[in-house]
Amino acid sequence: MQPNPTVFTPLLIAALVFFAWSCYRRFSLVTLGRGEDRFQRLDLRVWDMLLYAFGQKRVVAKPFGINHFVIFWSFVILLIANGEFLIRGVFPAVSLALLPPSLRHALLLAFDAISLLTLVSIALAVGRRLFFPPSYLNTPYVKARSFEAFLILAFIALLMLAYFGLHGAEIAMGEEEAAAWMPVSSFVAKVLLAPHSSLLIPVASFCWWVHAVVLLAFMMFLPHSKHMHILTAIPNCFFASLGKPNTQPREEFTRGSRYGVSEVQEFTWKDLLDGFSCTECGRCQNACPATATGKPLNPRQVVHAIKTNLFVNGPLIQKGGKPIVPLIGEEGEGTNTEDTIWACTTCGACLEACPVLIEQMPKIIKMRRHLVEMESQFPEELLNLFENMEQRSNPWGIAPTERTKWCSTMEVKPFTAGETEYLFYVGCAGSFDSRQKHVSVALATILNEAEVSWGILGKEEQCCGDSLRRLGNEYVFDKMARENVRLFQEKGIKKVITQCPHCFSTLKNDYKQYGLELEVVHHSELINDLLKAGKLNLSQKVTDLGRVLFHDSCYLGRHNDVYEAPREIIAAATGAPPVEMERTRNNSFCCGAGGGRMWMEEFIGTRINLNRVEEALRKNPDTICVACPYCMTMFEDGLKDKLAGQTRVRDVAEVVAEGLR
Amino acid sequence: MTEPKKTLKKPRGVACLVEGKCIACGARCQSACPVNAVEMNDAGEPVIITEKCIGCVKCVKVCPAQAIEMYFTPEEQKILDELMKQGAAVEEVDEEARAVAEKIAAYSGVWVFVEQTEGEPAKVSWELLGKGRELADALSVELAAVIVGEKVEHLCNEAFAYGADKAYLIDAPVFRHYRTESYLKAVCHLIDTYKPEVVLMGATGLGRDLAGAVATVVKTGLTADCTGLAIDDKRNLMQTRPAFGGNIMATIMCDKFRPQMATVRPHVMAMPVKKEGATGTIVRESCEVREDDILVKVLEIISDKKGRDQVDVAGAEFIVSGGRGMMGKENFAILQDLADELGGVVGASRSAVDAGWMPPERQVGQTGKTVRPKIYVACGISGAIQHLVGMQDSDVVIAINRDKDAPIFEVATYGIVGDLFQIIPAITQRLRELKQQKSK
Amino acid sequence: MLVVACIKQVPDTTQVQIDPVTNTLVREGIPFIVNPYDTHALEEALRFKDRFGFRVAAISMGPPNSEATLRKALALGVDETILLSDRCFGGADTLATSNVLASAIRRLQEQEEVGIVICGKQTIDGDTAQVGPGIATRLGFSQLTLVDRIEHLDREKRTIRVRRKLEGRHEIVEAPLPALLTVVRELNRPRYPSVPKRLASQETEVKVWSNDVLRLDVNAIGLKGSPTWVNRIFSPERDKGEIIGDGVNDPVATANLLIDRLLSKDLLAL
Ligand SMILES: Cc1cc2nc3c(=O)[nH]c(=O)nc-3n(C[C@H](O)[C@H](O)[C@H](O)COP(=O)(O)OP(=O)(O)OC[C@H]3O[C@@H](n4cnc5c(N)ncnc54)[C@H](O)[C@@H]3O)c2cc1C
Ligand code: SF4
Ligand code: SF4
Ligand code: SF4
Ligand code: SF4
Repeated sequence: MQPNPTVFTPLLIAALVFFAWSCYRRFSLVTLGRGEDRFQRLDLRVWDMLLYAFGQKRVVAKPFGINHFVIFWSFVILLIANGEFLIRGVFPAVSLALLPPSLRHALLLAFDAISLLTLVSIALAVGRRLFFPPSYLNTPYVKARSFEAFLILAFIALLMLAYFGLHGAEIAMGEEEAAAWMPVSSFVAKVLLAPHSSLLIPVASFCWWVHAVVLLAFMMFLPHSKHMHILTAIPNCFFASLGKPNTQPREEFTRGSRYGVSEVQEFTWKDLLDGFSCTECGRCQNACPATATGKPLNPRQVVHAIKTNLFVNGPLIQKGGKPIVPLIGEEGEGTNTEDTIWACTTCGACLEACPVLIEQMPKIIKMRRHLVEMESQFPEELLNLFENMEQRSNPWGIAPTERTKWCSTMEVKPFTAGETEYLFYVGCAGSFDSRQKHVSVALATILNEAEVSWGILGKEEQCCGDSLRRLGNEYVFDKMARENVRLFQEKGIKKVITQCPHCFSTLKNDYKQYGLELEVVHHSELINDLLKAGKLNLSQKVTDLGRVLFHDSCYLGRHNDVYEAPREIIAAATGAPPVEMERTRNNSFCCGAGGGRMWMEEFIGTRINLNRVEEALRKNPDTICVACPYCMTMFEDGLKDKLAGQTRVRDVAEVVAEGLR
Repeated sequence: MTEPKKTLKKPRGVACLVEGKCIACGARCQSACPVNAVEMNDAGEPVIITEKCIGCVKCVKVCPAQAIEMYFTPEEQKILDELMKQGAAVEEVDEEARAVAEKIAAYSGVWVFVEQTEGEPAKVSWELLGKGRELADALSVELAAVIVGEKVEHLCNEAFAYGADKAYLIDAPVFRHYRTESYLKAVCHLIDTYKPEVVLMGATGLGRDLAGAVATVVKTGLTADCTGLAIDDKRNLMQTRPAFGGNIMATIMCDKFRPQMATVRPHVMAMPVKKEGATGTIVRESCEVREDDILVKVLEIISDKKGRDQVDVAGAEFIVSGGRGMMGKENFAILQDLADELGGVVGASRSAVDAGWMPPERQVGQTGKTVRPKIYVACGISGAIQHLVGMQDSDVVIAINRDKDAPIFEVATYGIVGDLFQIIPAITQRLRELKQQKSK
Repeated sequence: MLVVACIKQVPDTTQVQIDPVTNTLVREGIPFIVNPYDTHALEEALRFKDRFGFRVAAISMGPPNSEATLRKALALGVDETILLSDRCFGGADTLATSNVLASAIRRLQEQEEVGIVICGKQTIDGDTAQVGPGIATRLGFSQLTLVDRIEHLDREKRTIRVRRKLEGRHEIVEAPLPALLTVVRELNRPRYPSVPKRLASQETEVKVWSNDVLRLDVNAIGLKGSPTWVNRIFSPERDKGEIIGDGVNDPVATANLLIDRLLSKDLLAL
């Protein structure tokens, strides 16, 4: 079958121009974003790209992920086939036939096999979407857009069918010398086409044109659909954040600047690229505790809103106009409501889930920054928090003189430069919350028992400012961080123990931006090291805790990759590793307190902590082990609400301290 | 044998700050110093420039915290000791003091302003008559009640029953509602005419509104919200009151001006025994105030008792709060009973709100209301920090919990370990009994 | 029309404690804050600005470091700030304080009509609630204390209608302008300063008026103009954390014990 270049060439050119124009338009929209350096460490970037974009690490980790992997790689390999097809459409003389026969045969065999595989995968994908849609595909939002998904699947299927039709017809006509290398096409030729020899020519040209038209249509449609991600996912993985996005960038406080993001072009170009890279797979939404408990927040929607907002406003902004669709405001396409923005616990589950390394949560915090810093607009409860932090450097507004009350029953040394090795940064909860004070005492006992050289800052200790930063109050955070850094530097503090994952992450990751390099350990890590090094000897196995379950804190696990230490010390103290929850380790489900949610009332939907407590109770634990003061509160409250008073909550330090008695 | 009288010159010394005692009262020492020898540092504490100091002791006298002392070199100290031995502590006679004494001698008598709303007296006024009686007796002067209003003559007899010797009465339609301007004129007129040495008012909204205005016009000192009153050896009123949010108590004097005015906290002074049938003189006065001149109009008085459903936890003076320990919605009735006895409202912990036992606007705590009542009764509340931050500024916290280790006891002024379902009704019962006894 | 908010810098009294050993006030490191009641006064002044476009001035009498308080007011949006600071203002009681503040307001009145003055109900260090009435009396303004709601402002008739919060009752009062309001916490929720305004406030001038400007009789201001003086301070008797009786075995007796205790400490009156 010989293509007809005179008809095809103009079609191809038109399609290519349209495709290029669509891509350019998107690219130019992305460049509207603010600058951001995403070019450091190219080696790591290439690796991320290979691993996540080409290796599809996160995609295959999920059921049906392998299906996507097959379709993706088929697509890549068939690019050659389709490339040949297009070129041949214009220059009939240029074809694979120009290659050495052995290579050509191998390719043809691959095309044939892969096309079949793709057809099967497509069938599976359609079947799944139709008959076993996972919960996150079952939302109104996804349903409204499933036409697009089916259309794309249909396009691919048609391409495959046309391929077999065309080649089958050619084989049947005896035009293909390499038929032996094309088993599927040969099968089609033999079984389906051979009996109708008169139709072979029309079938061949029909299939050719179907293939051609679908291919061009696919190309033109691509940039306009979520399948744009085929093109953007690769650079997106390349430009992804190198470290974990467990901290937020600093802001310069100079007159006349704007803070945070209230209009789409105030996002960085990478944020905008994220918008175009979303595959709408719903993994983030599925992992998000806010979405799961009926809050208006859905991380996918946040990313999607950026894209839709950019589409409407971008061209206006390019022309020097003003955006017409607000980024933050009343519910609507391309707009995030304030409730959405405040619902995030910054748990990082979305970040961990996204196959193409989109950074959803940081965008939410950027919008929070705008609300707090420019508009002074935030849930009422936060006013107290903000004032307390600024005036008394703790979230509850308790007099700083009470910081040392927790150790009134024991002797605790102040940190002395040159003498003390570790600063025990007690933290606000450890200093003021009567429940957490027990943990402070337990930890202090352990440190003494292991003869660690440690001291505290006492009344000089200030809040680390975690909640402020996650709530977008960067201005006050910045003030507090600078004061803390100065204090740490003055005192010559190098090593810090924290009992709170929030202090831990803030001192470790956020303060780095202020030039403070500390060795920060979470108490679970330190205790584990002490146990392993034989510096801490448990005098008895802790047996009265019964069945022990462990809950991973977001800021310990997901944000800082500490998973083993708490488990190991529980195992060491009780003699058995803890029972795991259904959602565990990097899939852990937030307790509901992060991101400053600890200071807000939870009015919408169901309570996040109850969701998690119910999950925990399904494992019938006697003791729930935590490693974070906020988790402590959330579990204690949740258990009381569930009238599950017989289940206790213990910090890992308390478990170990019990073994010392 | 007569000792040769060696005339020693009394050393004056220099002022110096006693470490850690200054309360940064607002630079009294600096303003007192006649030679500008006192500078203030950033912490609001004085730095005394010894070279300039002339040893006049003014700063020492004026400092409320006894933070400044006179410093003498060892030699000077020796001379001082010598002088002491000789008993030569000659009182320097102060011209100024004599003039003041003359001025204040013209004032006599203790007055209590009787506060009333629509003819209904405020109880604090009677409490004050009780205290006023003591003061008047200590000074051997008359105790008078000041009664201003419309159709309030009946209050005179009541004032006599509570111990007043005399009642100054201004009764006219223009005084029907309390308005600062009209009452101010009336009271100032009385003070000008009869010159009392002490004027007491209740530290209520009305009392503080009026007293502040009167003191300004009369140009005398006024001490707010006193909790203790007594007479010193120089016939001056010692007025004791909490300051710095109740963290310290201060005794305030107003010895050079008359009348000495004070507002006094309700419920602090004991209620005097009522002697029915006691009599006294009524001094009827009139005061030139015309309705047309008073532009402020009271349009409506809304009694809080009417709007029960609109409970204002944040502003309440007595709060009885229940937590999860209440076990159910219906049990909050016993808290309401107690709150009614106290004249307060019912609050709740978040647990009680979550359980649907109380509406969210009653929630006290971190994400609820911040309250500062006179008495906060926490019933079946464990005392999580989220709750504590909302109520720890209460004057008195009473905790009732069956768990003796509950953290609420850490902030409680009075704690009772036990079953709230037995204790609360017992408290309510006791209050009722006592009230009945009293009214008999 | 100008709305004047009177604000004061106070030590954060929740952090003031008496040293149990020396029996003196521990003040080390105690920060100064804007008197909490005054933040509500400021807020209401700013709401008048938002609603009616009035200009707002914040004035404060205090030592030079009170400037920080006025900067905070600037960050919240006031148009003008004046710090009344002079050695001879120091040591003032309420009578002397109201004299200085009233005189400053009179000064402001020379430039622009002052319609409303707003004060906090009281300060947390002094707790007197007397400065507001003092100013009103000196200026002859309508005196409206303990306001917990602004009902209406009639610009034509030049009257203001407010609700006052009194013991066990509320009062709706209408008064002609100019008026002085003292406000309680329930009146409003103070706003939070935005970052641009905070930064701007750092660069705006805070005017300082000394007695050279006000020219008040030195015997009527500061320590000399204060009839009252503090004779003595001492720590209050306070019992913290006393467990009363045996509530488990004898609830009735324990309840009675509690009531007796409250009565004997004058914490309760029947
Ligand atoms: C984000 C967030 C915000 C929060 N905000 C607030 C807030 O604003 N206000 C608030 O209150 N909480 C708040 N909390 C909840 C707080 O953590 C506690 O869960 C809550 O205060 C506990 O309430 P409770 O003391 O009533 O219940 P519990 O802690 O269950 O205590 C019940 C107590 O009652 C006692 N008790 C039971 N029966 C009896 C009996 N018959 N007689 C005597 N005693 C009895 C028990 O010994 C126990 O101490 C918040 C929590 C979070 C996570
Ligand atoms: S960080 Fe957590 S709460 Fe926030 S959007 Fe992501 S998954 Fe949801
Ligand atoms: S943001 Fe990532 S995880 Fe979420 S839907 Fe898009 S691609 Fe999936
Ligand atoms: S003693 Fe007199 S001169 Fe010396 S500092 Fe005190 S006030 Fe000034
Ligand atoms: S008078 Fe006393 S308390 Fe006041 S500033 Fe001077 S030394 Fe301090």
